[in-house]
Formats: sequence, C-alpha cells, structure tokens
Amino acid sequence: MRSRGSLLSLGDRYRIYVLFVAVFAFMSLLSPKFFTVYNFTTILNAITMNATVAIGFTVVMICGQLDLSIGTVITFAGVLTMGLQPYLGFAGSIAVAVLGGAIVGLVNGLLVTKTRINSFIVTLGTMTILQGSIYQFSGGNSISVTTDQVFAISDFLGKNLLPLITPRVLITIILVVAVEFILRRTRAGRDFYIVGGNRSTAWLAGINTDRTITAAFVLSGVTAAIGGVVSVLVSTAATLKLGENSLMYVISATIIGGTAMSGGKGGVLRSVAAIMTLEMLYTGIILFGLGNEVKIFFAGLILAYVVLYEAYAVYRHEKTLGQRPWLMKELAARQAAGAGKKR
Amino acid sequence: MRRLPFVVIAFALVAFALSPVFGQSLTAAQQANLKASLAVDTSVLKSADGQQLLAPSKDNRKVPARPADPNKLAETDPLHWYDMEWAGWNVTPTNTPKSPGDGAIGKKVIMIVHGDHPWTTACILGAKKVADMYKWNFKALSPNWDKVVQDQLIDQAINEKPDMILLIPLDAKAAVQQARKINAAGVPLHMFNTLPEAAALNYSLGWTGPDDFGQFRLLARAWSDELVKRNPGAGTIGVAYVQHAPGGSPYFARSFGPISELATYNPKIKTLVMASPTPATFDANTTMQLVSDWLTKYGKDLKGICASDDSAQSLGIFQALEKAGRTDVVVVAAGNSKQGMDLVKDGKLFAITYQTAEGDGALAAQTAADWFNGKGYPIRKNLAQHIITKADVEKFYPPQW
Repeated sequence: MRSRGSLLSLGDRYRIYVLFVAVFAFMSLLSPKFFTVYNFTTILNAITMNATVAIGFTVVMICGQLDLSIGTVITFAGVLTMGLQPYLGFAGSIAVAVLGGAIVGLVNGLLVTKTRINSFIVTLGTMTILQGSIYQFSGGNSISVTTDQVFAISDFLGKNLLPLITPRVLITIILVVAVEFILRRTRAGRDFYIVGGNRSTAWLAGINTDRTITAAFVLSGVTAAIGGVVSVLVSTAATLKLGENSLMYVISATIIGGTAMSGGKGGVLRSVAAIMTLEMLYTGIILFGLGNEVKIFFAGLILAYVVLYEAYAVYRHEKTLGQRPWLMKELAARQAAGAGKKR
Repeated sequence: MRRLPFVVIAFALVAFALSPVFGQSLTAAQQANLKASLAVDTSVLKSADGQQLLAPSKDNRKVPARPADPNKLAETDPLHWYDMEWAGWNVTPTNTPKSPGDGAIGKKVIMIVHGDHPWTTACILGAKKVADMYKWNFKALSPNWDKVVQDQLIDQAINEKPDMILLIPLDAKAAVQQARKINAAGVPLHMFNTLPEAAALNYSLGWTGPDDFGQFRLLARAWSDELVKRNPGAGTIGVAYVQHAPGGSPYFARSFGPISELATYNPKIKTLVMASPTPATFDANTTMQLVSDWLTKYGKDLKGICASDDSAQSLGIFQALEKAGRTDVVVVAAGNSKQGMDLVKDGKLFAITYQTAEGDGALAAQTAADWFNGKGYPIRKNLAQHIITKADVEKFYPPQW
C-alpha cells in the first residue's frame, strides 16, 4: 500500500494528466455542446500548430535552454511556403520553409554552444532578425494563394480520416509519437535529459553536449516550421502575426506539462496534454457563453500558477540538494532493527 | 364524384409545384413572427454620441469598371486598389443560403470580432442594441487579434449551429478560406467592418462597414486644402503616413487611399515615408519614437502626418511634435475616439473621420435582420461618411469610446 507521501508524489508527477481528466470531466458534464464529436475535432485541429511547435520546444527545455524564436519561425515558414509557391510549387516551397526552420535552429544551437551566450539572448536576437526579414520579404502584407489546388489541400487537411482524426492531427500525432519514442527509448534521447540535468556531468560521461544542444535547437526550428507550414496550408494565407501568440502559449503549456525550466525533466506528451487541457478550458469558457475577458483572466491565473509552481520547485530543489532521503530511511530502518535485536 | 379525389390530388400537386414561385409556405407562428419582426423599428435607436445609430449613407458614387489587371497599375492610381476599394461588386455568390423569411425575432446570431479594443466594445454594444430589439440569442466572441484563434472561434461557432455568423475578418486574405468554411457548413455569413478580399464575398451574403477608402479620400482632400493654406507657394509639401497593422484593409485604405487621391487632387503633396509602428501598432510610445525619427530625418520638409488611429497613435504623434517643438505639422487621423475628438477640440488634430463604432455593429446586425425578414440583401452597404473638424466636433460628444 502506498503511503500518503508517495501518492502525493505520484499525483505531482502526473499532475498534467490529472488536470487533463479533471478539465475534460468538468467541461463534458457542465459545458453545453462540449461533449460532441465536432467539438473534439475542432479542439484537436486547433491545437495542431502549437502542439507541433511544442515538440521541439520541449526538447530544448529538457536540455536546459530556451528558444524564443519559435513564434517568428512559425511565421517565417508560413510566409516562405506561400510566398515561394508561385515559383517553386508547394513541394519546393514547403521544403525550403522546413529547411529554413532547420537553419534557424542550427544557427541558434551553434551560437549557444560555441559562443556560450545565454540561449535567451541568442534566440531573442534571432527572433528580431527574423521579424525584420519577414516584413522585408512580404512587403508588410499577408501572402495568400487562392488557387483550386490550395483549397483542395486545405480541405484535405481538415477532412476527417477517422472520427476526430484529420490529416493535420495525424501529422502532429506521428511527430509526437516519434519524438517521445526517441526521448524514452534511445540513447540520443536520454542524452537530452542528461545534458539538461547536469551539463558538466554529461560531458564527463562522454556525451557531446554541444552536439546534443544544437540538435535540440534544430529540432525546435524544424517543428516550428512544420507547425507554420501546416497552419498556412489550412488557412490558405500567411499572416504576419501568425506565430505571435504561440511563444507564451507554448512556454506556459510546456511548464504546466511538467518540463522543468532548469532542464533534465519533462516530456513531449506532457506538453501536448497541457496544450490540450488549456484548449479544452478555453473552449469550455466560450461554450459557457463567457467573454474573452474571462478567458484572459483564466490564462493569467494559469500563468501565475506556472510561475509560482516553478519558483516552489526551485526552492524545493535547493532545499533538498545533496539530501538522500532513501539513505536516511535505510539508516532509520537499520537503527530500528538494531534496537529490536538488543531487546 | 369519382373524379373528386383526382381533382384534389391534382390541385395539391399544382399548388406544391408552384409554392417556390410564391415563396416558402410559413406556419401561422412563423407568419406571426415575421409580422412582428417587420414591425420592429430600429431607426429610433441612438448611439452613445447622440447620433442616429443606423444613419443612411449619402454616398452615391458609381462603381467604376474593373481594370483588366489592377496590380499592373501604379500604386498612386486609385484603380490599383480596385479589388479592395470596390471588393464585392463583381462577385459570383456561391451556394448562398436562401432567406428563411420567417422573421428576425428570436434568431441565434454569433458575432466574431477581431480583437479587444474600446472600439470593439462600442461596436458590440451597437449590434447588441439591434439584437435586443429582435430578442436574439446573441453572443460576441473575440480572438484578441489572433488569426489562428479566430479560425478556432469560427469552428466553435459552426458547432453551435447559429442562424447567422457576423464576422470581422482579421486578415483580408485569410478571410477567403474562413468564408468558404462557414459557407460549406451551411451557416449564413455576413462580413463587416474590415474589407476582405473580393473572393471572400463569394461565400458571404454581403458586407457592411465603413468605406475606409472613401472616408480617407474625403479626409485627404480636407487635409490637402489645409496643407496648401498653411504652406502658400510651396513647390512640394512632404507628408508621412503612420500605418495600421499590416494585413487588414485599413493598412492599405488609410495610407494608399489618400496617396492615390492626392496624386490627382494635389500632386504637389509628396509622400516622404510611411510605416506601421512596431512591435506595437497602437502604442503611443512606439509611435512617438517612430515619428521622432522621421522629424529628425526630414526636419522642416515634413509638413503633414496622416495617422491610422486617432487615439494611441495620435497621442504618440503629438508627443513627438511637442518634443521637437513643431506646431506647423497638419495631422489628420481615422476616428473618432474620445482622445481623437479632444485633440480636434484642442486644435491639435486638424480632422478625423466619423467612424461610428456602434453604427458599424448595428448595421451588420440590421442587415442580418433584414435577411431574416426576407428583404433584399445588398452585397455591400457602407456606413454614412463624414469628416469631423473643430467646426462641428461638439456635435459628436459624448464619444462612443
């Protein structure tokens, strides 16, 4: 039988799934029209962009780094996809957009690892440079393609293959499963955790820390680009503010999901579960007929919770640094056993 | 007698076949609802500034013929902007739903706006005034300036199966697919306020809102006259444009509208620079920095500024002008907020457009109500145009927002 402490610890470990079930049950029971196939399809479609972006972002955070450029990479990839389509066709423009995301990630990774500049500063710089490039490339205007081909692609991406599953959802699922598998089941995946947990120890253990961190940034660039590409294909237009709100959303969701900002802990599935939870909450609020102000209020509450929880986690980590609770338990047990023998 | 059943059946069949000609048959309750709906008089409604909420437009300009390829024309040619300024006049409506014609009272209508702003609050209030007259189940949703969220709200609105969606498209180009989607779901759509690309109106019942291009053409003429008055004998008069957020129709209408108008009305006026304040388009401080840079660069050559917003942007412009000790610059803006009207009253802003926020929402709602009542549906309907100057600004107090 588990003790109260271990149950609490278990609850804390899986808190995002507990939260997910709680929000799902609450909204399904009380929010009108929430528990419908159409609504769940809408929610799943709605999260695809941010969920795809969160995949790479989570890996960067597991490495103990931050990637602030994800929002602009989304827009950058979207603008390239639509802007280059008349010259390269969709296959070519999508390839260039994803490659562009990878290059941005590579530059971020190399700058962080080789120049030892904090990732916050590096990616803030990349974000600003990219913003300027986007405005330059687009002339300050949205870019759209209104051919029958793009409408057909858009319709296909939003069409149900199975109940709840559209191709755009499927793309996200495949990416989540693949990266989660790499993180959990491969040595390369475990290296991300070791590097994030303690970079010096990872280096001493023979892990190429620079390469691991750079790979995480490249993955982040690629997933952000894929998110942007799919989003513009669905909406048939690349707006210049496409990824503007994704950064804060994805950071919040990743932390709520249990990925530590200090690195070494977390998972892609958890981040996606957090995004799903937030989206269910926001959808429920709207279906309740409550206004945007209520949604903003809840978003603020969640952000406050995230900040407080992260501060508490750091405090707890520092307080217990160097302690070995299991060793203390073992010593206490031995002492108790020794006292019994003496009697 | 044997023939009687056949005669009755034949009569019934003929009546059934002819029923579409005479319109759909309504139940007694529907007929009563239609009668009650038609009796509703919304012309008595007033906006917060004391103006008639649904003032009719006096604009009687004729729609010009569309050039073969407007994009090939220079940006200073008014016809270059044909597909924005005259969007909707040449559309081929696709799969447009037919009016139920059973009366507007009791309908469920969802309004999806573009974002949170005092203007939007006033706009929703205006629509609500009409909605309340018709006892609508009315809901307004805001994506807070996020196009991705607006797409989600559209999905959620479709899920609720309303009688109509009223939409302010966040992005003119992205509006095409948004309209297609709503149309494909079988929900009647009416777009308003920001003009979508012409193709979007293929899937919408129509569009209502401010004639931004038309208003700014009027504003440009008033601005030009004042610039000439203040700079007699000047060979050229340099001006600048503080633009709206990129993407939407106001971004183009509020800069290229006056530019293309002045190209013929007063070619002496030269555009020195135009830009949208970044990263925050409607922020006084960001605008102040932008305009301060312009004043440094162009100095006394800069004689006029046209702003896309008469509140935060205009406040930023005057902060920059005061810092530079300039009182000679003629500033005009899109209006009409409290800050904007106060600036006009103080003699700082020379002129603003009368852009009724409440009237905008109300006109969309009223047009929808007319459709439910089986009345004809205009593909485009503009709000009344007016330019406010110090001479008549008092008439528009208290401000709507």
